[in-house]
Amino acid sequence: MTWAETIVEALKGNQVSLIAFVPDVSIDVVTRLMEEDPFFHVVAATREEEAIGIAAGAYAAGRNAAVFMQSSGFGNCINAIASLCIPCRIPIPLFINLRGELGEFNIAQVPMGRATRPVLDVLGLPYYTLTMDENLDKVVRGALKLCYSSREPLALCLTPLLHGGKLA
Amino acid sequence: MHRLEATRLLLKHVRDEALVANLGPTADELWHLGHRDRNFYTFGSMGLCSSIALGMALSTEGKVVSLDGDGSLLMNMGTIATIGRERPGNLIVVVWDNEEWCQTGHQKSHTAFYTDLERVARGCGIEKTATVDDLEGLEAVFMQALEEEGPWFIVAKIEEGEPLPVMPIEPEMTLYRFRKSFTG
Repeated sequence: MTWAETIVEALKGNQVSLIAFVPDVSIDVVTRLMEEDPFFHVVAATREEEAIGIAAGAYAAGRNAAVFMQSSGFGNCINAIASLCIPCRIPIPLFINLRGELGEFNIAQVPMGRATRPVLDVLGLPYYTLTMDENLDKVVRGALKLCYSSREPLALCLTPLLHGGKLA
Repeated sequence: MHRLEATRLLLKHVRDEALVANLGPTADELWHLGHRDRNFYTFGSMGLCSSIALGMALSTEGKVVSLDGDGSLLMNMGTIATIGRERPGNLIVVVWDNEEWCQTGHQKSHTAFYTDLERVARGCGIEKTATVDDLEGLEAVFMQALEEEGPWFIVAKIEEGEPLPVMPIEPEMTLYRFRKSFTG
């Protein structure tokens, strides 16, 4: 299985069937796989905080939902997470592609990429950083299970060492 | 028309439908008019009321009603485009439009000038739209929206009344009761 298929299978295993996302070139392979799979309803949002709202609404109505975005977009949705998901206890797995990592070419992507995990820390939210290693499946499945049992958002941070992204 | 009486009027016609209330007086008034488990009150996340309702509408068969506000929706107008793209037939957006940010000191909002949210919705491909400014007009279009396939986008011009006490329900309990009404 590719890393993208590993993520898709883990989502299915946890009955996460609604996906809200704002496009990112490195997560495109995952969102495309899900768009082709009738198990998922994939919603393109115009902005990341909107994606959080859509996913929160899905969970409130009984359907598990995840959000895919890049680290710049995480900056756009901090208040949505802080004032909706945390006080209401809405578990949303946040798949965040970390920009500003190895091989980054754009200086504008560096500060928010670097701030993403510290911001998650001060919000008190757990995160796991994904690289291509033999435990990828265990980490993703375990994180999803933890997200739903703890009923709080949790981040899975994707890196160039996972997807090769902008490493070149 | 005052939002409190307009909300009371909508509740007269609501049965099992989910209601999502924008933060502040919209949520407080909904609570005081009669709590039901299918009311989802928001406490923060200004701008996301109709996005939350959209996520619900994509996850359940029944109608979902968003009680949004002009100032809030202006923060997240992109969600009107997403509703226009997804076209959930069971979503009804009601915008309580008082043309101001009431709670922060009655500053005029953009709808007091040239912004027409109904035209924005039409421009995003939402065909079932209306703007109403009295209870009779609101009741007629809301009853139609409950029966007919949507998505619906209804702008209701309202006035502010006296503020009611803040609703005494915790965010966690709101989510728990609402979700339980779907999952059993």
